[in-house]
Amino acid sequence: MTRKEIKKFLINIALFVIILVFIDFVLGSITQKIFFSQKTGKYARATYAIREADESIIILGSSHAHRHYVPEVFKQEIGKIAFNAGAEGQQLLYHFGLLKMILKKESKPDLIILNIDDYFLYDTPVAYDRLNDLHPYYGEYRDELYPVLKLNSDFVDLKLFFKGYQTNSTLVHALRYYASPQTTLNGYRPLYGKVTKESLNSMTIFKEHTEKIEGDFVWALKELIKTAKSNDVKLIFVTSPNVLEKDLKGNKSFEKIKQIAKEGEVLFIDYYNDKRFMNQYDLYHDISHLNDDGARLFTKILSNDLLDSNAIKKGSN
Amino acid sequence: MLFNSFEFLIFLPIVFFIYWFVLGRKLHLQNIFLLIASYVFYGWWDWRFLSLIAMSTVVDYFVGIKIASLINDKKRKYWLFVSVVFNLGLLAFFKYFNFFIDSWVDLLHNVGYEVKSVWTLKIVLPVGISFYTFQTMSYTIDIYRNKLQPTKDFIAFAAFVSFFPQLVAGPIERATNLVPQFLSERKFSAKNISYGFKLILWGFFMKLVVADRAGVYVDTVYGNIENHEGLTFIMATIFFAFQIYGDFAGYSLIAIGTAKWFGFDLMTNFRRPYFSKSVSEFWNRWHISLSTWFRDYVYIPLGGNRVSRSRWLLNLFITFVVSGLWHGANWTFVIWGALNGIYLIAEVLIKRKTKFRLLALAYTFVVINFSWIFFRSSSVSEAFSIIKAILTSPGRLFIGSGDDIAASIYTVMAIFLLILVELKREYWSERWSLEKSNLKLVKFSFYALLVFTILYLGVFGESQFIYFQF
Repeated sequence: MTRKEIKKFLINIALFVIILVFIDFVLGSITQKIFFSQKTGKYARATYAIREADESIIILGSSHAHRHYVPEVFKQEIGKIAFNAGAEGQQLLYHFGLLKMILKKESKPDLIILNIDDYFLYDTPVAYDRLNDLHPYYGEYRDELYPVLKLNSDFVDLKLFFKGYQTNSTLVHALRYYASPQTTLNGYRPLYGKVTKESLNSMTIFKEHTEKIEGDFVWALKELIKTAKSNDVKLIFVTSPNVLEKDLKGNKSFEKIKQIAKEGEVLFIDYYNDKRFMNQYDLYHDISHLNDDGARLFTKILSNDLLDSNAIKKGSN
Repeated sequence: MLFNSFEFLIFLPIVFFIYWFVLGRKLHLQNIFLLIASYVFYGWWDWRFLSLIAMSTVVDYFVGIKIASLINDKKRKYWLFVSVVFNLGLLAFFKYFNFFIDSWVDLLHNVGYEVKSVWTLKIVLPVGISFYTFQTMSYTIDIYRNKLQPTKDFIAFAAFVSFFPQLVAGPIERATNLVPQFLSERKFSAKNISYGFKLILWGFFMKLVVADRAGVYVDTVYGNIENHEGLTFIMATIFFAFQIYGDFAGYSLIAIGTAKWFGFDLMTNFRRPYFSKSVSEFWNRWHISLSTWFRDYVYIPLGGNRVSRSRWLLNLFITFVVSGLWHGANWTFVIWGALNGIYLIAEVLIKRKTKFRLLALAYTFVVINFSWIFFRSSSVSEAFSIIKAILTSPGRLFIGSGDDIAASIYTVMAIFLLILVELKREYWSERWSLEKSNLKLVKFSFYALLVFTILYLGVFGESQFIYFQF
């Protein structure tokens, strides 16, 4: 192999890399533009929470958060505006990343409610896989997201160097919500319809987790508490009610969450097995989600409990 | 190490750089280095199983020399027997032991004897064992047949057995093609590297954009068969046809492209199989390295077509059943192989061919898809349930909700794109090829666009290649 050949080869590589970076920059900028111009849908809600939300109360959590906390009721009961940033199917790592980005803004909320699912600390690959939803924000929030995303890959910076990868597979979402906008009430999307005792038998909950506590999730929960504290934002943990009695005996994840809350001096309000909701089929859409009636009642009860416990003061916003 | 992992993205340029720019033209050093790199590549998955590759290498190296040194055919046969028994023994133990025990217990149960299966073992199937054992067997068999002289260069031979681009899922190379390449000087060629890069990129497109996308729907449906109906199974099976094609042809292209970077030519493994107009043509285009291996080392030794007609058809059938069993230790694979054997026999018996090309393409696609049901199902009873549902209860097509719909749309887009490209290559191969442009800017822009498409549409879950399990 001659010197000339090597030189030519290296020039070709350099040329290709330049063209690749250029194409990625141009097309990636277009896909990012499309991504961030979404007005409705899950990404639009996350983007709003991160960049614009100046509401006093922010709700975080999975579909149970998204479907159970009604901002309108918070306004009526507490006199404060809330935004529901719950994300269906998401788990602790995502909520931690989202919280860090939300708290980077100058205007901070008075209260953050994290809806706790009892299995949050149990190991599941899903928690890592779904971190993709944070990728589009990496360019702007690298410092906040790096500690979370590096749990999923040792090559975060290399992967997310490409804008095309940051917005991977988001185009169809964007087009879908352009074609058919999704209506939310300050982030909350009500569920309608009622379960019956009989219909519950045919419903199954897919178990996506093992019964082993994952250290990364414990770390994320502790860091989440620290982040809220360092930003001087009140954080509380809440569990949503369940239609059937939930057997939490021996649930190591739930016990650990309670222990971490206690150590971090975080108020923990537990509505699992709350008699006002247990076996009240009219309040549920399915086996684990309240319908709109149930969500409104739950938010009302929670609002009163928050005021009673001085977690938040009644106000005009 | 997986091709679709970031470890490989780091590993490959390092190995490439050292191979060409540090070791230069020192052939022996290059071979030593390739051997080390290959063992690192394989050991990344599980270093304990390196011992199996090492044993297979040592046995076949010495057996090869021994066979060539003997004149007495009986003795030559004996040493060939040693090699075949050793390699098939490895396969039999790691891949088929539990299968045979369980099948024996089931058989006894069916004739009224209850036997507890205390013999089954917890065995991990070493990745790629079916591939490298077949490759090394071709070496000793070809020496026995006087088609090849054994090499005395142990390092070159060991590098041939463990060559990392094709170690775990082929193409299953013939010793006659690959061993000489380890013994002669490889020349750095920018053209080869550029061509290899193109193959690697297209391989990644097939794997990450087509196969892994299609796999999401396929796994959802085949993982919960009790919740789905006929139309959904048809859709899932069609998606599976593209998943397995994208997965395996994608792997092969990455392997061939990677080998090109190091100056090696590996055989073509797929030639747009879904454009076949008959099942026999399909098998000339699908997993060519395995089909030709079975042709040369099973079908022809059985007598091929130079025997009576009935024996010829039996030979065809046996070859395909064995090929099915090679794929996996499960009756689903045996039936899959048998079905393909039956298709071929039917094509021999019914000589008439339709003049309508589209009809022939459709026929081939449908019957091949029918056999995929067995290939993808986890048990024979599951496969029959699916077939029953397809025939009796079409039901509603499952498209999921929310993110699932988006995933299905991407899958259809990816398959459409693949078909479009293959259609062009099949019928207008030399026309309108941006990648063949003389203008570097156009050519490189095409490659960069392909990289962007993979980054934007690909699934980056570092999923395994399907054929790793075989």
